[in-house]
Amino acid sequence: MNDLTFGRYAPFNTITHKLDPRNKIFLMILFIVAIFLRVNTWSSALIITGALLLILILAMIVSRVNFLQLFKSLGGMWVLILFLLIIYIFIPNPNYNPDHIAFYIGTYGVNYDAFYQSGYIILRIIMMIMITMILTATTKPMDLTYAIEWYLTPLKLVKIPSHIVAMTLSIALRFIPTLLDETNRIMKAQASRGVDFNRGGIFKRIGALTSLIIPLFVSSISRSEELSNAMEARGYDPYAKRSRYRILRFGWLDLVALLFMLMVFGGVLALKIMDANFMEIDFIFWIFGTKPLF
Amino acid sequence: MSIKIENLSYVYLKKTPNEVKALDNVSLEIPEKKITAIVGHTGSGKSTLIQTLNGLLTPDSGEVTIGEFKVTSKARKNKRIKELRKYVSIVFQFPEYQLFEETVEKDVAFGLKNYGYKQEEAIEKAHEALKKVGLDESFYKRSPFELSGGEKRRVAIAGIIAIDPEVLVLDEPTAGLDPVGSKIILDLIVELNKNGKTIILVTHDMDIVMKYADHVVVINDSKIAFDGVPADLFDGDVSNYSIEIPKLFTFSKMLKEKGLDIDLKTIRNIDDLFVQLKERHK
Repeated sequence: MNDLTFGRYAPFNTITHKLDPRNKIFLMILFIVAIFLRVNTWSSALIITGALLLILILAMIVSRVNFLQLFKSLGGMWVLILFLLIIYIFIPNPNYNPDHIAFYIGTYGVNYDAFYQSGYIILRIIMMIMITMILTATTKPMDLTYAIEWYLTPLKLVKIPSHIVAMTLSIALRFIPTLLDETNRIMKAQASRGVDFNRGGIFKRIGALTSLIIPLFVSSISRSEELSNAMEARGYDPYAKRSRYRILRFGWLDLVALLFMLMVFGGVLALKIMDANFMEIDFIFWIFGTKPLF
Repeated sequence: MSIKIENLSYVYLKKTPNEVKALDNVSLEIPEKKITAIVGHTGSGKSTLIQTLNGLLTPDSGEVTIGEFKVTSKARKNKRIKELRKYVSIVFQFPEYQLFEETVEKDVAFGLKNYGYKQEEAIEKAHEALKKVGLDESFYKRSPFELSGGEKRRVAIAGIIAIDPEVLVLDEPTAGLDPVGSKIILDLIVELNKNGKTIILVTHDMDIVMKYADHVVVINDSKIAFDGVPADLFDGDVSNYSIEIPKLFTFSKMLKEKGLDIDLKTIRNIDDLFVQLKERHK
């Protein structure tokens, strides 16, 4: 169960923790856009990705995010890597340089560019995981929902009740740890009755899972009923005006972070628009030569 | 084959800012075929301790020896864990939340089937266990979800005793039950103990400790604060452990201080006191 702690809020007191969650969400979106902006030349891609990766690693160190957690979360990515490799290798791409054939499968030439492309996209996905991890590890779930509510406020104009959405979200988030504890407890109780969740054939495992899922459902349903009763007993009215204990504040640190990110984003955009090839080097030619290896 | 716990330590949320030491170098011996009560306020480490007994938690250091089984800090070395869990079974707090089958008998038989019993044999043993907890044939085919809280609890306990473990660990089995329901479960525990089972009972109720336990262990701040017979615990200074001394004990002790010849160690209930008074003060 400890694997599920990925990206869980860690109560340190770093600069990143102090930032306004609304600002953090905006920064994250900008960053992800910057990561996935398509650039056409190798050199720009290298400079952009390298710079962003450097910023990310520094941000992770500053906000004291556990690197080990990151590596653990990458363990499950091998399926994705395999999938991408197959797609990039076997779908012909006119942009691949025909000189960059690594080896032949039958008469089909496997291009180095395919490996480069899939590696590039995987790196960018990892970077996206890193940035979301920084967000969730440094922001309390409740603050996140407040921020989301703030972003949804304009939707009130089209009669979408953003505060109800936010309340639903915050209740859901609030109960994730409770459900995890509950899962843990039921797993232990069933383990005491001889259930082995880690071994056994597929049917055994399905049986083991039912013994976990049904009690979880039963307790969640009764819990939600209790919660709604408790809320009603305290006079909760979804349409009433609500005040809030914690007020989000946009401070000078936020301004600095925002300006810095805008600068980075501007730089990335400029590089993309120029799309210049600074170093006239064909990397693959440079590293491997043009002859097929096999 | 008593249960030997040596230098056991356990830390929750290791290497995070919320790190909590739940057990701190605990050494303990739990006597065989006796009822041992584990006492301590909420968060003192009782639940952690009992979960290491059948390897549900892997200790950070130290080891537990139960007969031929061993639970050590190296998870890979803890082989035969399934056999161990058949030998030491835990009834968790509010065990009614673990029910999931369509009928009561199927739910009780579930554990047995996990330990390799055939369907008919398992159902037969399930019926036996249900009888032990005082649920008759009319319950066999009912859904566990339509029973009352106390009945659900008894079904869940039946599910564990059907497995026939040698060591039965119960975490507050009477919490939230009415007096009748509590008594049925406590009588069952005494009955199982008479049949040679080792019982470990986590409880907050000192009347239960006085009445049923042969041995009591107090855990305070992740450490063993007391280990001995209940009478010695109540006789000593308990002001630090959030323990309320049973009224009967206080009363007997007052009688003794007034000069009556009373052996505090053998008094478990009001009848014991009466018998002593009658025999020694004719």
